[in-house]
Amino acid sequence: LPAGLSQWFPALEVLDVSGTGLTEMGTELLSLPCLHTLLAKNNRLGGPGSLPKGLGQAPLARSLRVLNLSGNRFSELPPALLQLRGLRSLSLGGNRLHGIPPDIQELQSLEFLYLGGNFITAIPPELAKLPSLRYLVLCDNKIQSIPPQLAQLHSLRSLSLHNNLLTYLPREILNLVHLDELSLRGNPLVVRFVRDLTYNPPSLQELAGRTVKTRNVPYAPSDLPESLVRYLSLASNCPNPKCGGVYFDSCVRQIKFVDFCGKYRLPLMHYLCSPECSSPFSSASQSSTSQSESDSEDEASVAAHRMQKVLLG
Amino acid sequence: MEQPVQTETWKARSLEELVRMLHQIFAEDKVSVDEVQALMESYESNPEEWLQYAKFDQYRYTRNLVDNGNGKFNLMILCWGEGHGSSIHDHTDSHCFMKILQGNLKETLFEWPEKKGNGEMIKKSERVLRENQCAYINDSIGLHRVENISHTEPAVSLHLYSPPFDTCNTFDQRTGHKHKVTMTFYSQFGERTVC
Repeated sequence: LPAGLSQWFPALEVLDVSGTGLTEMGTELLSLPCLHTLLAKNNRLGGPGSLPKGLGQAPLARSLRVLNLSGNRFSELPPALLQLRGLRSLSLGGNRLHGIPPDIQELQSLEFLYLGGNFITAIPPELAKLPSLRYLVLCDNKIQSIPPQLAQLHSLRSLSLHNNLLTYLPREILNLVHLDELSLRGNPLVVRFVRDLTYNPPSLQELAGRTVKTRNVPYAPSDLPESLVRYLSLASNCPNPKCGGVYFDSCVRQIKFVDFCGKYRLPLMHYLCSPECSSPFSSASQSSTSQSESDSEDEASVAAHRMQKVLLG
Repeated sequence: MEQPVQTETWKARSLEELVRMLHQIFAEDKVSVDEVQALMESYESNPEEWLQYAKFDQYRYTRNLVDNGNGKFNLMILCWGEGHGSSIHDHTDSHCFMKILQGNLKETLFEWPEKKGNGEMIKKSERVLRENQCAYINDSIGLHRVENISHTEPAVSLHLYSPPFDTCNTFDQRTGHKHKVTMTFYSQFGERTVC
């Protein structure tokens, strides 16, 4: 950035330095108190020192709303970025990111996050702690699974997951009530009904925990070590409506197909408390997709109409 | 001395002129696909002329009506943000011309699925269309998906459909199942449509 920038243009609100071959953005940024939009696409940013030190203390940290760093060479999200507390829109599309730092949750004002076209393999559950996030783009990455916590993004309206390595989605995705758009093409999604009966027998602790919960055995925090009190609070309910059971760590993973908009079949991962707890039609064979349809219809029909546009095809 | 025979190639020197020439062509009983494609390709994109129609949406691509061709065709501008793409779709027995005004669009052609539609759809070909190129498709050629695969640049395209249509089928790539949808305009003649 040219020296003296902040002296000549102290009231600068929008700065576009895209396509200028920049390798670093220096301290000039720190003296721009009114800057709300910074576009620096298609440069050579990504090395150490790409962003100036002291970003968190600069007026920029509160004023910057939009930051576009797409088409650069970042191999990790620069930690300095996370100090931009006022940031609403962040784009790091087309970089070389291998992951997303859990501290992304620091960007509490974030509404728009574009991370398409990187090498991301996993999504940290902390990403779900962004209460205002409306648009999340993760297409063209190497993501193998979506953490169920992502369903806590209650403001999410659009989720782009196409061209990744997903074989299924967590069933919690049905809880995203405001989701209008979901793109899933170009993923190796399981098409045929699959039952994975890999089941590790529960531990003694788990069995005891299940009994306490299902029999409503009363206990007070003073009765048990704190760790066990916490453990008991983590019980998950078995999604099989005919079972009142709970499970902790030991569960059967089963892929169920849920129809959205009557036409698209999304494989959703269900966790059940035991193999006996599988669908009532437990003799389902590979070809009987209609059975998986009917027993998932009830839970799906309520949530299905919320998912208005599934850009699967 | 013999005069060399020349085939006339029309050139549209502005968007307005393109629209006028399209009206002339479509006023005839017979319209040549090649003629329309060449005409559309001849127009050199000038953003000043179409910026008023290019309204982007954060979440998905938009369709912005430019001219309704006296009922003979619809001319519209589509705006694609980074990563925006369409589903696989047909063209309801109409002709479809697509010219790139800015950026690049990837077009993937698919075979029509079997009646029952019980398997992964077959990709025929794919290509990336550059600025000012004009592609053509109709149902007898196949189905396609159009997407802006850039993560850094938005794209803008000019589409002509004749006859005009507002419903089409979208297809699930994994199964070939189809689903009828109604298309809407994000804006018409430069004015945002409120649905």
